[in-house]
Amino acid sequence: MNHARISFAISALALAQALSVQAAHAAGVTAGTLIQNTASATYGTGPATTTISSNTVTIKVDELLDVAVSSLDGGAVPLASGTAILKYRVDNSGNGSEAFTITVNPAVSGNGFDAEVQTIAIDSNGNGTYEPGVDTVITNGGATAALAADGFATVFVVVTLPAGTADAATSQVRLTAQAVTGSGTPGTSFAGQGEGGGDAVVGATTANANASGSLIASAATLALTKSFAVVDPFGGSKTVPGAVVTFTIQAAATGSGTVENLHIIDAIPAGTAYVLNSVKLDGSALTDATDGDAGVASASGIDVTIGSLAGGSARTVTFQTTIN
Amino acid sequence: MIKFTAVIAAFALFAAPALAAPDPGAVSLEGTVKIARTVTVDGVEKVVVEEPKVVVPGDKLLFATRYANKGTEAIANFVVTNPVPSAVIVADESAQDADVSVDGGKTFGPLAKLQVKDEAGAPRAAKASDITHMRWTIAAIPPGGSGVVEYHAIVR
Repeated sequence: MNHARISFAISALALAQALSVQAAHAAGVTAGTLIQNTASATYGTGPATTTISSNTVTIKVDELLDVAVSSLDGGAVPLASGTAILKYRVDNSGNGSEAFTITVNPAVSGNGFDAEVQTIAIDSNGNGTYEPGVDTVITNGGATAALAADGFATVFVVVTLPAGTADAATSQVRLTAQAVTGSGTPGTSFAGQGEGGGDAVVGATTANANASGSLIASAATLALTKSFAVVDPFGGSKTVPGAVVTFTIQAAATGSGTVENLHIIDAIPAGTAYVLNSVKLDGSALTDATDGDAGVASASGIDVTIGSLAGGSARTVTFQTTIN
Repeated sequence: MIKFTAVIAAFALFAAPALAAPDPGAVSLEGTVKIARTVTVDGVEKVVVEEPKVVVPGDKLLFATRYANKGTEAIANFVVTNPVPSAVIVADESAQDADVSVDGGKTFGPLAKLQVKDEAGAPRAAKASDITHMRWTIAAIPPGGSGVVEYHAIVR
């Protein structure tokens, strides 16, 4: 009976061991874990059997400093006149809790343009979506909170397009993560700075890793073309008093982006008088009054609000004057 | 018949003191742990065993247990059992060197002959990472005799 109890105790121990093995981290045994080894020996036979135990040797597992960075964007992210968000993942591939400094460099060699970094934020709620005011903003060169061993953080980098960037120009934005405890040649150790009271040792990744996200500029260029046609009172096209001049202004956008907040504004030429309610947008008449339609006009000039004009599209405004 | 039994019993009573366990202090058992590092010197790789100042996952440890018979009588049937710490995996080369257990020390045998159940409950051949105990049997240690049993293990 006594013997049976002992073997039950041993198998329970085995079960506990097996469970703890399964729970071990992919990145390895957690820093601070104590590895204890005790051997026992039996000798003699039968009732004369003697059991002795060795001393217990104990060593503490030190912290391995390792990090991996990846870009979470499927491809080049379009960057138009607003902002674009680049997503990165910083993995703590070490075996201890560790914070990482995040440095974002938008000026990567070979860039067609260098984006302007507006905000760097850590996904605070883990939903993978940048939420201004919710996600934790850090400065460039600031640190993440401590990430658990095998834990990760999603980092958002909000960028804007510098003025004058050519359409379809490409750019890389590099994010570098570095263990706060230290980095450097693998094997470099930091005495007593490991989690759990041991040392911290730089692993194969040098505790410093980077990845780049790609941007493609989505800009649009606007071309304005102005022409006029004259119809004189005699059915000809002479610029004589009383002749009606029809001005045509075409606004054409080219490129993959969109021209925003577009107004077409023109002054009434001296020596002519504006023909009331003659403004048309793409052939549709607009009233002169400030009202629901896009046009406003007076004796001094016209102003037609187009708003957004996508690359590849064009709008045409016409208005008429009479020669005095 | 009865008489014969009594004789045996008497012999057993008489013999017991003669077969008394040797003094437990007669045999010493001393464990050590070292770290085995592969270093390249002049382009040649060699393994250096040193004190474990820094230990991280992936390091190879050498657990050694030194035994010595300090008594005046030979020790027979000397069996050293070493539970493997859960934070390490027995190195493949050491897994072949000794009898091992993959069931918490209930049964022992050569690793190649042992099986464990996989996640689905189906039996599969045991691997070095399944080893829970190492065991070595030394048939006899003469008075003054000593030796070392050891195994390499890799920090998980």
